[in-house]
Amino acid sequence: MAIGLEHYLVVGAVLFALGLVCCMARRTAIGILIGIELILNAANINLIAFDRFGTGRFDGQIFAVFVIILAACEAAIALAIIIGMFMNFGTIDTDVADKLEG
Amino acid sequence: MSSADWIAISPLIAVAAAAVVVMMLAAFWRRHAIVAAASMIGLAVALFCVLPARSAAPRMVTGLLAIDEFGLFYVGLLLKGSLAVAAVSYGYLRARGRDAEEYYALLLTATLGCVTLAVSAHFVSFFLGLEILSVSLYALIAYTRERARSIEAGIKYLVLAAGSAAFLLFGMALLYAEYGAMGFAPLAKALKASGGANVYMLAGMALILVGAGFKLAAAPFHLWTPDVYEGAPAPATAFVAGVSKVAMAALLLRFLTQLGATDSRPILIALSALAVASMFAGNLLALLQRNVKRILAYSSIAHIGYLLVAFIAAGPMGAEAATFYLAAYMITTLIAFGVVAALSPRDRDADAMEDYQGLFWRRPWMGGAFVAALLSLAGIPLTAGFIGKYFVVASGIGSALWALVLILALNSAIGLFYYLRSVVAVYARPGEEAKAADRAPGFSLAGGVALAVLGFSLILLGVYPAPLLRLIQTAIASL
Repeated sequence: MAIGLEHYLVVGAVLFALGLVCCMARRTAIGILIGIELILNAANINLIAFDRFGTGRFDGQIFAVFVIILAACEAAIALAIIIGMFMNFGTIDTDVADKLEG
Repeated sequence: MSSADWIAISPLIAVAAAAVVVMMLAAFWRRHAIVAAASMIGLAVALFCVLPARSAAPRMVTGLLAIDEFGLFYVGLLLKGSLAVAAVSYGYLRARGRDAEEYYALLLTATLGCVTLAVSAHFVSFFLGLEILSVSLYALIAYTRERARSIEAGIKYLVLAAGSAAFLLFGMALLYAEYGAMGFAPLAKALKASGGANVYMLAGMALILVGAGFKLAAAPFHLWTPDVYEGAPAPATAFVAGVSKVAMAALLLRFLTQLGATDSRPILIALSALAVASMFAGNLLALLQRNVKRILAYSSIAHIGYLLVAFIAAGPMGAEAATFYLAAYMITTLIAFGVVAALSPRDRDADAMEDYQGLFWRRPWMGGAFVAALLSLAGIPLTAGFIGKYFVVASGIGSALWALVLILALNSAIGLFYYLRSVVAVYARPGEEAKAADRAPGFSLAGGVALAVLGFSLILLGVYPAPLLRLIQTAIASL
């Protein structure tokens, strides 16, 4: 059986769902970050698959490269803030950080 | 790329170059005043570059950036806002006393993200601009890292902004899958050829609206707003509230107009739901607050609701109303948070109502500016906020959106209550201890000049809006 567009789309959808569950269920900041990376990569898989099986103009693949770079930047800043959180709260559990009302 | 292309994007290049220069200065010549001056000069140069760019407009640069009157109008507006934030930041950071230099590099990269959004006409530049803005904002919000509140606000913004950006990207992937295009213009063509909405298109648009609604802090995506506004250092809050939202709204305006999305009934219903929820959530929750930064946060949520009414009204009149409203909103918000920044002592932000008790008697100019901002937010005549609200209501009536206009009027009345409550506090006789503690440690000459110019524009636009209106009309005509 040849692997076609549908297979990629199913993988992308499953990855999106897993990322969403990960974002919602995880308590630690790192866990949430992992969930976000999963959603970004789900979108990446879709972009590349649509490009390969659809337009074939490489614009989707180039976009995916942009997304990978931006995700790396985001992770760098996110980890710096998470270290700041550990310095202040002594934990990276997001439930503990509730000094702000609401 | 031709030389005209380079001239057309010169404002963006100037901001990017200024960010690099300021980063180098922060590394090798750590003098707060010099770094601040360099970043303000960089922004002024970028602002000056808008003039030659206008002569090269309209022009598509590499299919990603649409340099037209509309984009350049917003670029100018955003650069002015950013300049005001830089000026206000100087006094605030000087009072705080350490590690101020990197702040300006982050401010400039955030501005770069904003101006990219304003001229973006393609999913790639959309996402790139949004992420440059967001990533800079994470660091700006958590910048006072010795304060637990600031870090907490940073984490909250990080988690929710990154999540919403991921949603947005998935929405873009869906639209790309269905129509095989990423530029707004080719996408609109493909959309028209396919003959209306289908599941992919609606799911993609819904995800993009979630992402944009989050950045604009429209209810029900507003949950981060009060916490982030309260926790972030006041000048960063001014940037989040005043500048970044204007950039996102400009992009959304271009995106929805070019795609003709406001002809689609499901999208109109979604936008109306966002508008109504934002107006009620913002105004009703603001009534319960005692913290000034939180009141302003909820008020900004309500204002996005008013703005969305102009989006729904659509057509040239709606777009003009939205643009004027955004200009007025930006000026007003920057004054309000500028005053908060100027009054903030070294170890915390001046966000308690007591900090403003009798402000007018202690510092008449600062108190006057704060009152003017509050009245403009409430939409009292002779302020820019009144003219903005007038145009939004007029565009709503022009499109026969009776229910929305009624809800807007009702909400303005609710809003009046908490704005006037704050005004009363500013005019109350100060207590003895407030008099004793009278200082504005975060005040600087640059910040004072910025506040004065902003205050003057606030009144000028309220009395004589015609020149700005003409500028907006040419801008909208190019959309």
